[in-house]
Amino acid sequence: MISSLKRIIAIGRNTLTEAVRQRVLSVLLIFGLVMVACSVFFSKLLIDEQIKFVKDFGCGAIGLFGFAIALLSTAQLIPQELHNRTIYTILAKPVRRVEFLLGKFLGVVLLLSLSVMLMSIAFAGALYWQEWQGIDSTQIGYDQRTPHWQSSPDMVNMYQRDILEIENQVRDPQLIEAILLIFAKLVMTSGIALLISTFATSSIFTIVTTFMIYLIGHMETVARQVWLGRGAETTLYQSGFLGILSLLIPDMNSFTIVDEILAGNRVPWAHTFNLLGYAGVYLIVLLALSEISFRYREL
Amino acid sequence: MVALMKISVMDTSASPAFAVETIGLTKRYPLSWKRKIVLALDHLDLQIRPGEVFGLLGPNGSGKSTTLKLLLGLAIPSEGEARIFGLPPDSLEARARVGFLPENPYFYAFLTGDETLRFYGKLCGVTGAKLEKRIEELIDLVGLQNGRERPLRSYSKGMLQRIGLAQALIHDPDLLFLDEPTAGVDPLGSSQIRDLILRLKKMGKTVVFSSHLLEQVQEVADRVAIFSLGKKALEGSLEAMLVENQSTQINLPAELSAEQQERVRQLLVQAGVGAAEIRFTRPHLSLEQLYLRTIQKAPDANPPTHPRP
Repeated sequence: MISSLKRIIAIGRNTLTEAVRQRVLSVLLIFGLVMVACSVFFSKLLIDEQIKFVKDFGCGAIGLFGFAIALLSTAQLIPQELHNRTIYTILAKPVRRVEFLLGKFLGVVLLLSLSVMLMSIAFAGALYWQEWQGIDSTQIGYDQRTPHWQSSPDMVNMYQRDILEIENQVRDPQLIEAILLIFAKLVMTSGIALLISTFATSSIFTIVTTFMIYLIGHMETVARQVWLGRGAETTLYQSGFLGILSLLIPDMNSFTIVDEILAGNRVPWAHTFNLLGYAGVYLIVLLALSEISFRYREL
Repeated sequence: MVALMKISVMDTSASPAFAVETIGLTKRYPLSWKRKIVLALDHLDLQIRPGEVFGLLGPNGSGKSTTLKLLLGLAIPSEGEARIFGLPPDSLEARARVGFLPENPYFYAFLTGDETLRFYGKLCGVTGAKLEKRIEELIDLVGLQNGRERPLRSYSKGMLQRIGLAQALIHDPDLLFLDEPTAGVDPLGSSQIRDLILRLKKMGKTVVFSSHLLEQVQEVADRVAIFSLGKKALEGSLEAMLVENQSTQINLPAELSAEQQERVRQLLVQAGVGAAEIRFTRPHLSLEQLYLRTIQKAPDANPPTHPRP
């Protein structure tokens, strides 16, 4: 068991090293710079709007860039190994196919963790920069409106309330929930791509199919409602088809709860844990199916 | 012989008689879009003893690589079975005793020579000081001192083959499968790989390799099997198959003059050999032997280096 785990970790680390040395992360660096720069470009907005913008843009960018990394890196995992014949050298060693598969997937999850972490650091940097800008401009506003306002206790109280509001907006612990949910969605996307790549003959097929499933996953709520008889009138066949669809395809739409967090609405941790649990269970199913598919693949 | 090949119960005891054994090993690939089946390997019976160097010969598509894939558990047989030291090829126990070099390997281009060997070592459960010691030994064995810290993308074809051999040997396997180990390698590199195979044989390893270079196979293999259209067309020891029983060759380290040739001829006639059957010839070097002699005589085999201006 431990030796099996060591082999999985060795393959995972190798996959991560490959991705890092292929300069995937330099794309993320560019992303970080663009994100920080955008705060400067939109500094004409009101401070509340600026912070909201950075939050929306930051989380959106983490999701988008993460999606691209998850999809591209997972889709080429197996085809590249086959093309370079490295898969033969690995599987000729005392390594089970399932260990190879889990190791490769671990590598992608590590890459996604690293990418999301770096992007989150850049995101936090942009937010703190906005906070500093907001506090600075608030103070300038007070100085311009009322000279010597510091001598008035009411004005000082008002100023402190304004500053606290800015800090609360920026240091919102719910943003951690948002990033965790984005990460879970990325790992699920990667799991889908892994399953498809176990039987696909090209990376393009994996990318296109995963993308289609991802899109359908966002519309799945509608399918489920129709299946459960809460939507428009449907025939038995339509209802059956939509039922199968809603069981097979993960519900990506549930993760749009991130938008609620960004809009400033409270999302309880229990709900976030439910979604993370859903992603975990779905991932186990995806990995099990991938293992079955890959076990009998001719190499 | 045929009766022996048809034994259906394989020996799975602790020390089996054969390093590799196949019985009726068959592989068919269905071409579903054409509704056809390609017979890649047809009922192969093969027995390779421990310590043998065995050559698989045959044109492209004759079933050599399919045989190796089946023996490594990378492909599933359609019929028949294979055993490695009496074990199923896809078992971890069998793979722990096997090393493999695929045809034209690329490996991980971003890893250095040392990192590559470290990675494969960890997969085989070799770690720590033992792994580092093993890497030192293998780098020496394959002569890759100048490639240890270089990424594999900067390696020449010959260097890739050598790092490939080193990774195949990282866990000190008893049996090596080498698929076209000298493909695309220059004659010098190729002869070094051939020497390495002979060293491995001396170390008691079993080596099974495929090659198109017949002369090289002849120099290292104890036995060969010739494949054609997925079938084993011929198998046997080179010693037995290549000797011409109806003639005798005498090699002398000096050139005989016409007078000396005549005296030898008379002696042989007196001994009962027909005069018309005696021929005097001068042995020829092969082009490869000439090439290697020339290269190895060169004052410096390494590429010239110049100081930076």
